Amino acid sequence: MLAGLAVTLSAVAVYSAYTIDQLRGLRELQATTIDRNRTDSLLLLRIQNNLNSLALAMRDMVDGNEPYPLTAWQAQFKRIRTDLEDALAKEERYSPSDRTSGQRSYLTSSVAQFWDALDRVFALGREGKEGEGRTMIQLSLQARQEALSTAVARLLVQNNETEQEAARRTHEIYTRAERNVYIFLVAMLVPIVLTSLYLVQYNRRMFEQVATLSERRSELAQQLISMQESTFRSISRELHDDFGQVLTAIGTMLQRSERRLEDPGALRADLREVQEIVQAALEKVRSLSRALHPASLDEIGFESALGQYLPGFEKQTGIAIRYEKDGPSRELDREVAIHLYRVVQEALSNIARHSKSKQAAVRLRFLPESLVLEVEDEGVGFGKTGKQGMGLVSMRERADLVNGRVEFLDRTGGGVLVRLTVPTAREESDG
Amino acid sequence: MTRREFTLGAVAAAAARAAAPLGFRLTDITAAAGIAFQHNSGAFGAKYLPETMAPGCAFFDYDGDGWLDILLVNGMDWPGHKRQRSTMKLYRNNRNGTFTDVTERAGLAVEMYGMGVAIADYNNDGFPDILVTAVGQNRLFQNDGRGRFLDVTEKAGLGGRQAFSTSAAWFDFDRDGLLDLVVCNYVKWSPEHDVFCSLDGKKKSYCTPEAYHGETCWMFRNRGNGTFEDVTAKSGIFDTSSKSLGVALVDYDRDGWADLLIANDTQPNKLYRNLRNGTFEDVAVRAGVAFSEDGKARAGMGVDVGDFDNSGASGIVITNFDNEMMALYKLARDGTYKDVAYKSGVGTASINSLGFGCAFVDVNLDGYLDLLAANGHIDETVRHIHGNVGYAQAPHLFLNDGKGGFHDVAALAGGGFAAPKVARGLAYGDFDRDGDVDILLTTNQGPAYLYRNDVTPGYRSLRVRLIGTKSNRDAIGAVVRVTTPDGTQSRMVKTGSSYLSQSEPTLTFGLARRDRADRVAIEWPSGGVQGFEGVAVGAYECVEGGRLSAKNP
Repeated sequence: MLAGLAVTLSAVAVYSAYTIDQLRGLRELQATTIDRNRTDSLLLLRIQNNLNSLALAMRDMVDGNEPYPLTAWQAQFKRIRTDLEDALAKEERYSPSDRTSGQRSYLTSSVAQFWDALDRVFALGREGKEGEGRTMIQLSLQARQEALSTAVARLLVQNNETEQEAARRTHEIYTRAERNVYIFLVAMLVPIVLTSLYLVQYNRRMFEQVATLSERRSELAQQLISMQESTFRSISRELHDDFGQVLTAIGTMLQRSERRLEDPGALRADLREVQEIVQAALEKVRSLSRALHPASLDEIGFESALGQYLPGFEKQTGIAIRYEKDGPSRELDREVAIHLYRVVQEALSNIARHSKSKQAAVRLRFLPESLVLEVEDEGVGFGKTGKQGMGLVSMRERADLVNGRVEFLDRTGGGVLVRLTVPTAREESDG
Repeated sequence: MTRREFTLGAVAAAAARAAAPLGFRLTDITAAAGIAFQHNSGAFGAKYLPETMAPGCAFFDYDGDGWLDILLVNGMDWPGHKRQRSTMKLYRNNRNGTFTDVTERAGLAVEMYGMGVAIADYNNDGFPDILVTAVGQNRLFQNDGRGRFLDVTEKAGLGGRQAFSTSAAWFDFDRDGLLDLVVCNYVKWSPEHDVFCSLDGKKKSYCTPEAYHGETCWMFRNRGNGTFEDVTAKSGIFDTSSKSLGVALVDYDRDGWADLLIANDTQPNKLYRNLRNGTFEDVAVRAGVAFSEDGKARAGMGVDVGDFDNSGASGIVITNFDNEMMALYKLARDGTYKDVAYKSGVGTASINSLGFGCAFVDVNLDGYLDLLAANGHIDETVRHIHGNVGYAQAPHLFLNDGKGGFHDVAALAGGGFAAPKVARGLAYGDFDRDGDVDILLTTNQGPAYLYRNDVTPGYRSLRVRLIGTKSNRDAIGAVVRVTTPDGTQSRMVKTGSSYLSQSEPTLTFGLARRDRADRVAIEWPSGGVQGFEGVAVGAYECVEGGRLSAKNP
């Protein structure tokens, strides 16, 4: 996700920098070429307009159908001259940088020559030489005006070409900018889409885990309740069925003994029988107590307790157990030991109930960094049952409690391997 | 009337009933007043350019009886196409709302291709003289004071000139107490050199002036002995590129020396600043009136100058071609004119109008100059080309709201004022002496219209007629400022303005419901200044240097 953010941010940064650069280029082009060129063209048009006014005024002078002398036109020319010179001065300021110095000086000097010639026309007019003045306009001034007009027209064409070139470049810049927008969009969209997909996936997995977890918890709670009930029921049955009968039998025999006080032989036999019954009851109480909590675990340690338990299991179930042990033994923490013990019980109980296997193996391996307990059978395996039994759930919970990990593996060739791995750190920390 | 016009009319009428009263009402009294005028353009199908440009009209008191008379300029048949006799008409005011045609008696039944008129007492004898501009030879008619006019064109030195003259104005440019004359010329045109133009590509229509060479305006200095000196070249207004139609006096730089504003058709307008040494300098470009705001030389027709915002500085109105809008210039602090036509509402309302005569007039006497414009296209085939532009067009009557806005109320003014016309000339004057200003319109190849104006009772005016002694007798160029608690209105006594037409020289100040002005100040063209305090409403006369005396009634 962070990577996505970084990619997005850098894309934004790169794009912004690029766009700013392009805009700067555009502004530069606008300011140096297009605006300047446009202003210059407008001024050239103004100059052209003034040149046209000069041409019209000269035409009227040459026409000679006004009842006024040539000098009458002086004010009109002065007006045109004021505007023309203003326009020329401004045009020089705005003229494009590619204008040659020849072109620059041509306009100024030609216009100056024009005014000079015009002044001479007016001088002739003042001397009363109207005809000579008119001839001079026709011979010299009109030609000069035409040459100027052509020069200005050429500059206008040149400006137009420059403008077209600038327009082409502007168009290029716009095309590039447009393309960049698309690239930027893609560059932005890809990380956003990827990040979103990842987030969706991640959330889905998390919700699944939470759901599984909560399901397991609720199953655990239910099974805890039902197990407690079944434990109570079994204890109650034991008490009623066994100890009730034993105590009843003892009572009956003690009554009979009272009647046999005069027959010491029979009494002795009865007492021996009572003693045997009491001994058997004691055995039963011990076995029950052991089943409820293997006291031996606290007293003799995990391995010895296992050593006691396994033969009893073999005897009860008729399943042959192969016990293996690797590595040097270590003293186990009591908390760890009870959970290991219960896992073995649970796994074996599962084998007895479900596997239909006649053989099982229990392996205990003390590795330097961990303790590995394996319980294996050669039965039918898990099959395709979706629901996890209480046994598996409790085994997993116990593994969690000791900071370990439990695995349920299908063996190749049938059977199940339950493997509990407890890291050494945990097993010694609480020591 | 089309269905659309009918609907618009109905809506407008409904709006009129709903809206606040305009403060005035116009009545068409042409027929009742006995004015039966028909303009003869001489048109016979050749579509000669001058045919569509005229005529002008004037309000002036030719017999000095204190009642305004009317002059209507006329054209005539072209040589070789003679069908009728037509002359200008002089109508004498009978002082009862009617007029009598006194043309023959006055010696004005002269056949000429008349265009416009400029009237002033150029010889300072107390009686107004008439200059009629024409295609061909302009004519100067001197008033003999006994009801007759003498053609003094040749004697005055104005003869021997053939041109296409349009508007003209009398003013004293050198402040010697004698009225000088400026005459606008349009283009170099003669029947022999008429150009073929067509709007629809088939039939001939009237040309726009691009087809012709320009022509300089003329300036004549009054020598004081009944003759004039041509100072066109000497004064510096000589300009053969001009195609001038309108001229107005304006004191642009407020130095007391009248400057000239000339409206040119398709050429830059000119603002000739009086340099006080007998010469003029064109400052139109610098002042911002030469071109439209987007740098185009428009088809300037009529022009008027007036202090429409009571700022003390004169604004300018110029009528233009259709699709160009009227120009309404206001003087900014930096000494340049800004076109406020669009902002004021005048621009949008006039976009489809082809305007000619125009005038700032306080129609409802509320103290703010309103704006009148006579409209009408130059060619009847226009309606086939531009759907939204008619040949006959409604005049504009923009009421000034005093806050910079103008609203066209022509349709609500009554008297059929807004009926489409091919109008050209426009003049104003209080012919019935009721204190408000009445309106005179002429139409091309059509009748003239006289609209009597009646303002809401209680609205009154202060009218001032100036008589110069040291200044020219008509006091043309004098400025009067009237102050009330509402502000100060200023008006200039002028000739020219509008288009081809002449309005009365008496100044009208609308005082609304006030019964007096706090102060009346007069700035004479001679440079003299007079002031009067607490002047009641009514009509006054002031002889330069004398008192402000009430005039009957």
